[in-house]
Amino acid sequence: MSNRYPGYDVLAKRHTPSWNEQTRRVIDKRLAISGEPRFFTAQEYALVGAICARIVPQPSDRAPIPVAALLDEKLVLNALDGYRDARLPPLREAWRRGLRALDEAAREAHGVGFTRLDAAEQDALLKRAEEGKLEGPAWEGMPSKLFFEKRLLRDIVLAYYAHPTSWSEIGWGGPASPRGYVRMGFNRRDPWEAAEAHGDDDAKALRENRRVG
Amino acid sequence: MRLRSRRSVQHFANPLAALDRQAGDPLLTARLDRGSAVRAAQRLNRAAGTLAIAVLFDSAMEHYRGSFHNRAMYTPLVSASLSLLASAHGTADPRSGAHKLRDGIYAFAGLAGIAGTAFHVYNIGKRPGGFSWLNLFYSAPIGAPMALSLSGMLGFLSERVRDNPPGPPPLIFGLPAGRVTAAMTSAGLLGTVGEAGLLHFRGAYHDPAMFLPVSVPPLAAALLAESAVGRSRVRRRFTTWWLRFTALLGFAGVGFHSLGVARNMGGWRNWSQNLLNGPPLPAPPSFTGLALAGLAALGLMEDHPDE
Amino acid sequence: MATTTRKRCGRTGVSDDPQHVPRARDGRAPDVFRHGGWVPMRCYGENDEVDFAIVGTGAGGGTLACRLAEAGFSVVALDAGPYWRPLEDFASDEHEQTKLYWTDERIVDGENPLQLGSNNSGKSVGGSTVHFAMVSLRFRPEWFKARSKLGYGADWPLDWREMWDYYTEVEQALKISGPVRYPWGPKRPRYPYRPHELNAAALVLAQGAEAMGIDWTPTPLATVSAPRGLSPPCVYRGFCTLGCSTNAKQSVLITWLPRALAAGAEIRDLAMVGRVEVNEAGLATGVHYHREGAWHFQRARNVVVAGYAIETPRLLLNSATARYPDGLANSSGLVGKNLMAQSNQAVWGLMEDEIRAYKGPPSLSMTEHWNYQDRGKDFFGGYCYMSQGPLPALWATTQAGAHGLWGDALMRDMEKYNHQVGLKIVGEMLPQKRNRVTLADEKDQYGLPIARVTYSWCDNDKRLIEHSLRFMTQALEAVDARDIWRQEDDTCHLNGTARMGDDPRTSVVNADCRSWDISNLWICDGSVFPTVGGVNPSLTIQAIACRTADRIRALAARGEL
Repeated sequence: MSNRYPGYDVLAKRHTPSWNEQTRRVIDKRLAISGEPRFFTAQEYALVGAICARIVPQPSDRAPIPVAALLDEKLVLNALDGYRDARLPPLREAWRRGLRALDEAAREAHGVGFTRLDAAEQDALLKRAEEGKLEGPAWEGMPSKLFFEKRLLRDIVLAYYAHPTSWSEIGWGGPASPRGYVRMGFNRRDPWEAAEAHGDDDAKALRENRRVG
Repeated sequence: MRLRSRRSVQHFANPLAALDRQAGDPLLTARLDRGSAVRAAQRLNRAAGTLAIAVLFDSAMEHYRGSFHNRAMYTPLVSASLSLLASAHGTADPRSGAHKLRDGIYAFAGLAGIAGTAFHVYNIGKRPGGFSWLNLFYSAPIGAPMALSLSGMLGFLSERVRDNPPGPPPLIFGLPAGRVTAAMTSAGLLGTVGEAGLLHFRGAYHDPAMFLPVSVPPLAAALLAESAVGRSRVRRRFTTWWLRFTALLGFAGVGFHSLGVARNMGGWRNWSQNLLNGPPLPAPPSFTGLALAGLAALGLMEDHPDE
Repeated sequence: MATTTRKRCGRTGVSDDPQHVPRARDGRAPDVFRHGGWVPMRCYGENDEVDFAIVGTGAGGGTLACRLAEAGFSVVALDAGPYWRPLEDFASDEHEQTKLYWTDERIVDGENPLQLGSNNSGKSVGGSTVHFAMVSLRFRPEWFKARSKLGYGADWPLDWREMWDYYTEVEQALKISGPVRYPWGPKRPRYPYRPHELNAAALVLAQGAEAMGIDWTPTPLATVSAPRGLSPPCVYRGFCTLGCSTNAKQSVLITWLPRALAAGAEIRDLAMVGRVEVNEAGLATGVHYHREGAWHFQRARNVVVAGYAIETPRLLLNSATARYPDGLANSSGLVGKNLMAQSNQAVWGLMEDEIRAYKGPPSLSMTEHWNYQDRGKDFFGGYCYMSQGPLPALWATTQAGAHGLWGDALMRDMEKYNHQVGLKIVGEMLPQKRNRVTLADEKDQYGLPIARVTYSWCDNDKRLIEHSLRFMTQALEAVDARDIWRQEDDTCHLNGTARMGDDPRTSVVNADCRSWDISNLWICDGSVFPTVGGVNPSLTIQAIACRTADRIRALAARGEL
């Protein structure tokens, strides 16, 4: 993965006026999440980890975002969206059932569980779920397409982009209160925003990104 | 007695007083040159310097906000700094006769201000919406560079006044210097009122104090205009006091604006945003500079009645 | 008027968990402008028969509570949500701030199931205005007579000229920051505050509009561009739809409700109303509500239901009795029917320039061209479109959900976040009886049947959407955006389900928001809209609430309450 915002770390702004106390509290709590699952079983957790690696693949040159752990937290809290397609079971049940069915589909197709497949095979299986082509008793009537779109994809992507590392990666300004932004026009950035490298000026971007704090 | 009280106000209201004092006792100089053009010229230098300070800080902040994305944005900083130096030099300079370098610097400031205005107008015009209220509010401020021109103009007038021999009433381009200065200053005040009016309209006059700069200086401008064309042998006590009040208001404006900064989210702790997004601290002293010029004009007319 | 004796209305104790322990009690309510601050609040006993018990404190209920209290009525307003102090409770975080949304379970179905929660349902004192995008637009006058003047939907029993004055009142109350001159529609008074500076995303909309030869304008927004009282001007932090932590946003929470408290209204937070009680005479007698783990009953001479287009019909249906087996106020059979979302499709593209659309309110510029221009349309109704500024989580779910990206493709596109621009419509959808709110078998945490929301687009809806997507695509192409794609499935705002009208057979309430069936039962929120128009509804809801308050005062003066 290219590094569009070299050296930019949204956490460097933690003690600037861009962050207030309640934001620090919330983010600190999130950053402390990792490790043992509390909702998923160990087996499910391994499966979720494998799926996350395909949905939101991460570079190897930085500490990974604990996507599966963040998802586990959401399920522990049973944090709902506020709506549920009538064809889907409730949040927790949808995940349990969907994971079971995906693993089952892997076994059917390849004779081994999802985690044992290679990346291309995993992608192909997920693609079939996305297209609604996975069916069978393990799904208990839940359309695989809906599970993929409304649960699996949504929940994993939300977990990934709840983490500051992902914010730094895309050059977002991050938390902003009480200090917001001053320079709003085209190609303008405040000194506390990420500087984008344009190929020939990596060093300049790096220098500026070290100063956002 | 009258003169002394005028001086005391000037000193109170003049940030260059310290420079002045270093150059020698201004009271003494003034007394020696009483009635001469030099004192008036020095007072105009002072006024030009006050404006230059306002321009220097205002353009520095605004162009920093604009990330100095165009090198030309350094121009007002350079020009205003030079104008400030020339004004300090002029304020302390008891000699008569125009000073070439100061003249050049002031002329440069006058031209730079005009060029800046052209730049700003071009910038507004090319934005979506063109010369709409929105762009007048938020793109390059159309009136700001004129403050630099005004500083240059006051300095230029100062040099013209100084260029007169001691004794006869000083003239500028053949016209009585006091009247010319009063007229030009009056126009400058009105322009600055326009700028403040526009920006305070942007702020929806949310605080009644915001009406001050659109009510006090216009009267000062009207009084000055009257002086410019009226009889010269009258003592304009009210005009004098009103100009002093306007000069004070310019400084008070900095105070009001700093309260405004405090009122923005995060207050002074969030200075890196609020100094730029809040009301501009250096802008109001423009009124002080112009009011000082108006007082100098009045002094010229009182000292050299032309009828 | 109800009794004026002051009663205790809860336990004493300091609440630091507004989501679980009510704050508004013991004669005080949170001061929304100060950390840990309080303001005095008049309290009523449950046996005090108050003049009005209002269910919901959003754009409808909150506004009405204020105006009724100021008119001298005794008012208790109940809300299922917490009573926030934005300065201390709101974090700069998309995830955390989902606490502002109504995330209790609801079932969605139909051909085009709605997405609820984040972009249309609030659960806070102050309602959805705590997280709304602050876009404050007036209806096009003809929309109030859509059937007779434009040939679709239904006529409103309201006159636009009367509404024009109420719009002005609301714009003043919220100190709307808007353009000096508004390009469309009849003359309106100048907005109280000046427009906000545009961000790059908004400039792209403006350039596109100019290239297409149509008008555009800085968006009239309910966030101040200069200080107002204890509200500082907007700092352009861009978290508007996640709660404004500076109080620049002029939500109901910080505008109407402080006024309501000062005028003697009581507000009860974390108070979920489960049933409106009616007596043998068929009149409402009060509301049953759940607070602090127990059910309570508040007596009232009048009940106002203001829970927005889903909770309002749900409550009316859940309040069914032997006398009203189909739910309250439902002799027309229209309670829950004619639900109208608004189409919320977008076109997205990439710019060579850095845009950084996350800065500033998300919709700083907009155009109502296709609300006011009828030529060249193959559909009824209209739409406006606005610039966009999604934050990362919203943008990522849009890229995943609507663009279908995941894996490396998703990560690659997300990296271009700062170059992204988008134009998004708020489009009119037509009322259809099949689009409705009914009760599901499932129960919520209070033991109440949850709502089932059924939604399908009609052909007219689809034609409008297609027109808008084509036009916005051209507008983005005109400014040299690349990789343009269409977000085809999104909706926002919820209206209808208890429409107002002139005929008891074809409407639920009259022009005064008074139900035809039960004379002391009122409905005052977006539910009463017979049509939705192509603008965000909050300003209209508040204007209707102001009008309703004036009508109630007039009726009371005549002894007709």
